[in-house]
Amino acid sequence: MPKNSNHHSEARAGWLFSMPWILGFLALFVWPFTASVWWSFCQYDLINSPEWVGWENYSRLTREAREQQGFGQALTNTLYYSLLSVPLSVVMGILLAVLLSARLRGQAIYRTLIFLPSVIPVVAASVLWLWLLDPQSGLVNYLLSWIGIPPQNWLNQARSAFSLETIGVLQNYTTGEPLKLLGSKDALILMTLWGVGNFVVIYLAAISDIPKSLYEAAEIDGASPGRKLLHVTLPMLSPVIFFNLVMGLIRSVQTFTSVYVLSEGTGAPGGSLRLISLELFLSAFSDLEMGYASAMALLLFIGLTLATTILFRTSRYWVHYRMAA
Amino acid sequence: MIRIRNGLLLIGFACLISGVLFGLFSKQHVTLPTGRQEVVFWHFWGGRDRSVVDHVVQQFNDSQNQFFVRAVAMPGNNLQAKLFLAVTGGDPPDLVNQDDPILADWAQRGVIQPIETIAKSEEIAKLDRWMFQPAQRLSKVNNRYYAICNGLDIRALYYNKTLLEQEGLQPPRTLQDLDQIAAKLTPDAATARAMGLYAYLPDSRRLWAWGYVFGGQFYDATKGLAQVDSGPIQQATRWMADYGLRYGPDNLAAFRQADQSLPGKPFPLLPIQPESMVGRYGLIMDGQWRTRDIVEFTSKRRERGLPCPEFGVCPLPSPTVPMVQGRSQAGWVNGNFFVVPAGANCPEGAWEFMQFWIGLNQPKWAAQTCAAGGWIPVSQQVVETETFQRFLIQNPLFATFVELANSPNQFPTPVVPGAAMFKRTVEAAAYEAMSHPEESVTPILKQANQRIQLRLERARSQ
Repeated sequence: MPKNSNHHSEARAGWLFSMPWILGFLALFVWPFTASVWWSFCQYDLINSPEWVGWENYSRLTREAREQQGFGQALTNTLYYSLLSVPLSVVMGILLAVLLSARLRGQAIYRTLIFLPSVIPVVAASVLWLWLLDPQSGLVNYLLSWIGIPPQNWLNQARSAFSLETIGVLQNYTTGEPLKLLGSKDALILMTLWGVGNFVVIYLAAISDIPKSLYEAAEIDGASPGRKLLHVTLPMLSPVIFFNLVMGLIRSVQTFTSVYVLSEGTGAPGGSLRLISLELFLSAFSDLEMGYASAMALLLFIGLTLATTILFRTSRYWVHYRMAA
Repeated sequence: MIRIRNGLLLIGFACLISGVLFGLFSKQHVTLPTGRQEVVFWHFWGGRDRSVVDHVVQQFNDSQNQFFVRAVAMPGNNLQAKLFLAVTGGDPPDLVNQDDPILADWAQRGVIQPIETIAKSEEIAKLDRWMFQPAQRLSKVNNRYYAICNGLDIRALYYNKTLLEQEGLQPPRTLQDLDQIAAKLTPDAATARAMGLYAYLPDSRRLWAWGYVFGGQFYDATKGLAQVDSGPIQQATRWMADYGLRYGPDNLAAFRQADQSLPGKPFPLLPIQPESMVGRYGLIMDGQWRTRDIVEFTSKRRERGLPCPEFGVCPLPSPTVPMVQGRSQAGWVNGNFFVVPAGANCPEGAWEFMQFWIGLNQPKWAAQTCAAGGWIPVSQQVVETETFQRFLIQNPLFATFVELANSPNQFPTPVVPGAAMFKRTVEAAAYEAMSHPEESVTPILKQANQRIQLRLERARSQ
């Protein structure tokens, strides 16, 4: 058989085998994405044909962002949640992984306990947290009382710990009333940190992959455990930290199920749990403003792309890849 | 070879087991009787209500030789998207039950048919005479029937009668009475904490009800304008926020959290501890379905020989202060309603079933359904049937709700396109006002009103 014919037949087989994936990719990703871009310039209610409105949806998004209403409020909520939950997840994940990598009795049990929450379905976990965060009879406030922290309002308080409003509360704080600083978004962050187990597993795998010789060399140089963590473990973990940072950022912006359950699908209290994903869902499927929701989705996509690009650009300064021997 | 054979045997065995299990546990497929037209009916009822619905369907099917209803229980969550897909896909159900404020949106988009295209004009005229006014408000868009309300949800004020009597108090007849009861039983947060109960706390979601009680209207249909910032609504919001001033908004928030409707969370009016005679509130606004909780609670306590407090229900008390034109027997109403999707295969069968359900021609059937489900009928004719009167004698607390169902002062969320956002925004504004009781409610309501008006205008232009 001529060589050329063999090549063609191989190429055909290759295309044939790839076709299910390519078709799926075109139908389930490229087409919805393109349609969504088109709809973002239209008024579309899911029933009637989309009607071209130009930049109207985008100017509305800009106006709402300026006025801190609707999308603006959702954007602020999402930024608050992402900017706190992602770094905290990374720090907590590393600390737990370092602790769990130490040789101690019952190591497997501790690892399982840390990993377990991340395999619990989000809906079940959210309902569980509704109970745990009950201001009057919840376990979290009970545990906080052990260390002298007054009971917090959690899911029934719109005001967050790090907000301008809280500064006002602190400035006016004169009475002996207990300070209630932690609100619904802080509760959501707490819940996210509880499910940090899957990050921990990745860090554990990466820690076990760090050559022992590096620690031995550090020991010979007289490095303390703290210095070994700072100058050996963290640089060697940096590619994994980078991966978890990017994935965590994307995941945090897409958080939907937990806020839907915790706020009964409304973003309550006072819209404090209206993250962009929930705002988008309500706009599309409750208010039937699919064009506006598509514009929001597109902005979300652009925002995430920008954030990821910035992370990639800065990674050259802090991510250290091990050179192959 | 042996491995392959064993593998095939294993797969065959698994298929057999799956088949047997499927046969055992799957429901029998309902076969359409010959000569009958099928009416596909989507509803979201589950639990004990599901059997009531199945019973109505069976009774209807037994009474018919022309139509046959096939009930399909659909999860109510995001039913809108499912229905839209079915309508655009060309295979909609013939009848859908809903309870969300979406009627005007669906009507405007042509997702549902006006009932007058299915029913005769004399039947429509009869509906106008026959149906309670609040039920008509829930069924009409721009004065045309686009739905048929099949059950009303009414709110009233439940109270712990024993507690009030012990304190020498009477159930509130006016808003001032209610305030006085609250001030006497729990004058401040410290007393409330010590007692483990609040006499009464307004809930931000209930601004809808109190707004109407204060004589307000959230929407001016003639001008097409939202009026969330109008005088009576502002007064109602101010009154609610004043409870925040009295007890402290943070204390209220903490106490309210435990009221979330979680599995296992009881009706907060009912005592939790076996020997206790008070729950978390002295008085609370809630719907007619709570009478069922009280009946169950009372019978359980009696069975166990425990002391049992008495409970009562009264209409929401209206304000009697100068400058406020309050309404009596007023409140916010919602309910379940039937709609017929555009492109339905058998709208005539759907209409026949709707009439059967609400009792338009045979009130006694509807009375049985309402009594079995603990639902409020949509017509006085059904209320007056022997069956329903017997039910009311057995459930005296229910009577107040039925009385309120016939009140012209019960209003729903305005039936306009964009109503879902309208409802959410009003509730969020009330929450905001109650969270900052020291601030004026006016800017909060004005801002909410602007957002709603923008949304209404967008919805109108769609």
